[in-house]
Amino acid sequence: MIRHIVRKEFTDLLRDGRFRWCAAIVGVLLLVSLGSGLVETRRAEAAHSAAQETARDHWESQGEKNPHSAAHYGIYAFKPRLPLSFLDQGVDPYTGTSVWLEAHRQNDFLMRPAQDASAGQRLGALTAAQVLQYLVPLLIILLAFGALAGEREQGTLRQLLATGISRRDLALGKALGVAGALALLLIPAAIVGSAAITVGSPGPAATPLARGTVLAAGYLAYFAVFVALSLAISAWVRSARTALVALLGVWVLNGLVAPRVAVDLSKWLHPTPSAVEFARTMEREIRSGVPGIERPDRDETAARLLAEHGVETVDDLPVNVIGVYLQESEEFANQIFDRNYGALWNRFEQQGLVHEALSVAAPLLAVRTLSMGLAGTDVEQHRHFATAAEEYRRDLMRRMNGDLAENSRTGETYLATADSWAEVPPFQYDAPSLAWVLQNRTLSLAMLGLWLVGAFLVAGSLVRRAEVA
Amino acid sequence: MSTQAVLETPATGEAPPIPVRAAEFEDPVLEARSLVKRYGDLEAVAGLDLSIQPGEVYCLLGPNGAGKTTTIHLFLGFIEPSAGRVRVSGFDVARNALDARRRLAYVPEQVMLYRNLSGLENLQYFAALGGRETLSSERLTDILVDVGLPLPAVGRRVGEYSKGMRQKVGIAIAVAKDAEALLLDEPTSGLDPKASREFSELIETLRGRGVAVLMATHDLFRAKESGTRIGIMRHGRLVTELSTDEIGHADLERIYLDHMQE
Repeated sequence: MIRHIVRKEFTDLLRDGRFRWCAAIVGVLLLVSLGSGLVETRRAEAAHSAAQETARDHWESQGEKNPHSAAHYGIYAFKPRLPLSFLDQGVDPYTGTSVWLEAHRQNDFLMRPAQDASAGQRLGALTAAQVLQYLVPLLIILLAFGALAGEREQGTLRQLLATGISRRDLALGKALGVAGALALLLIPAAIVGSAAITVGSPGPAATPLARGTVLAAGYLAYFAVFVALSLAISAWVRSARTALVALLGVWVLNGLVAPRVAVDLSKWLHPTPSAVEFARTMEREIRSGVPGIERPDRDETAARLLAEHGVETVDDLPVNVIGVYLQESEEFANQIFDRNYGALWNRFEQQGLVHEALSVAAPLLAVRTLSMGLAGTDVEQHRHFATAAEEYRRDLMRRMNGDLAENSRTGETYLATADSWAEVPPFQYDAPSLAWVLQNRTLSLAMLGLWLVGAFLVAGSLVRRAEVA
Repeated sequence: MSTQAVLETPATGEAPPIPVRAAEFEDPVLEARSLVKRYGDLEAVAGLDLSIQPGEVYCLLGPNGAGKTTTIHLFLGFIEPSAGRVRVSGFDVARNALDARRRLAYVPEQVMLYRNLSGLENLQYFAALGGRETLSSERLTDILVDVGLPLPAVGRRVGEYSKGMRQKVGIAIAVAKDAEALLLDEPTSGLDPKASREFSELIETLRGRGVAVLMATHDLFRAKESGTRIGIMRHGRLVTELSTDEIGHADLERIYLDHMQE
């Protein structure tokens, strides 16, 4: 029974010029955004690889140099693009993808396209995720708003129900018919996406297909929510026009109002300092220390070392006081960084939780967070990378200061050999596992599930009670 | 093949035929007992008692607002009665609306179809939903042609059809369903005289096969021609019942007008 409805709905939609035009526009935008995302990701990945190699070459060819100078010379670390990042750029355009690792500083990330882009460019950079999150639901609304209200208005609903078909089967058939029409649009996009993942470089994440599968399931759930909502409202209101207006209202609330409210509310509940304010605070704390985190003193370091080694002068020490002091300064600064960046990251995390919690009012917030997470471009994975880069920087500084402390004496001019830089292992980053991502996105998954179940329950109830004429 | 021939050939194709019933079947196919439907203070149907046996064609006459369409909608289970009971082939419509509807075919005053589908595709769709999915395209085409749709129009999209052509497809949908009961709400609306005449023949054939027919109409002539019994409704009440064997056309018109003037 249901298959007849599905087939009829599918045929009816395919013959509808409005559907063909809308689907063609959304389809072209989806394929173009996938293609441009893929090209851009590949270009950025190639540029990063080249820059990483150049940075490493520069590091290794420093020649004879004092290790502390080498520490100031520093090295760049580039955040690798995960295979799915071409779908969803997430926060990358705002957070940046490379960081300069140098002595004494935990630097901000660089290469932030959003920083350099004009407002027009930002609007023009339509990603596949935006097409899936905004335009596909709009297409679903255009396909389904008349599902029951239109049938009722035209008078066909009476004839349909008079055949003896149940309302549940009718609604299910219509939902599957819309899904079939959407599949025409989404299957080619999924094939292009899968091919891009399969033939592309595997990247640091070992599970791009698993991530892609979960991402596809998440988007399908999101679309199913819109199909159910469209059916529910179409069953509830008297006319197809009212259904369209109501559903467009839902779309605006979901896509435009809720994200704005989520941003403002999360900032209000968990405010973050401005970049200038943040930098000033850290500078001040590094200059003066804070209670419990005291700034090291070179004379005290020297006195402690003399006592530890039982010698009278620094010349008799088996280590270079400067090297030891520099490392103590690093460790002091690291505590200040941990204190400030830790608080900042925690604020971002709390803001993220507000976003996820607000997805109870708008499924977009849930699917957007899930999408960024699976694409590897969310704040948590940025933090994961930033933490790995910072650990590498700290290890690098420890090596440089250790070399200076152990291989030279206080007051002596020390130059490390030209081949010693190659002994420093290059920066390697392993992206978090799918399980790690899903654990972080539990709330979004739960909210999406809640929306799915809730939307279908409401649709079922309203379809059962829908008036026939 | 004529309408008569199409209907006398079991409309099966591959589907099993519905057995022809005897006109003197004991249990009514369509039955309303003390049926009431209120909309606020308005009683659209006020204590209607109606019983239609297999092979009987019951015509409901009455002015606009008399309660004819409401009665049909109550039999279809589209609205719930405020009081009383409606049964179709023994199924209480309030409790088993789906079972009741599966035994009914319905032709509304204005048959509405899917513009992007052809007449044949519309018929295939409604027939399949009505449980006649095994009927072949050839068989359905025959039904469409025999209810008066020109053969070249069968494959054309319904968006190009006139009201009369849509009405014929609606009648074909009812014929294809091969139901035990037929509910007709002004079915000849939009049909030309020839098509109306063919429709009367069709009803006669269905009656012969034991189908119980309830037809709401303003058309006194068609009611006398096609009906076996006539009920005149006014203000939701059945004011009189007549047997068409006992009255002529002129009598019917006089009785009807007398009741309308009361």
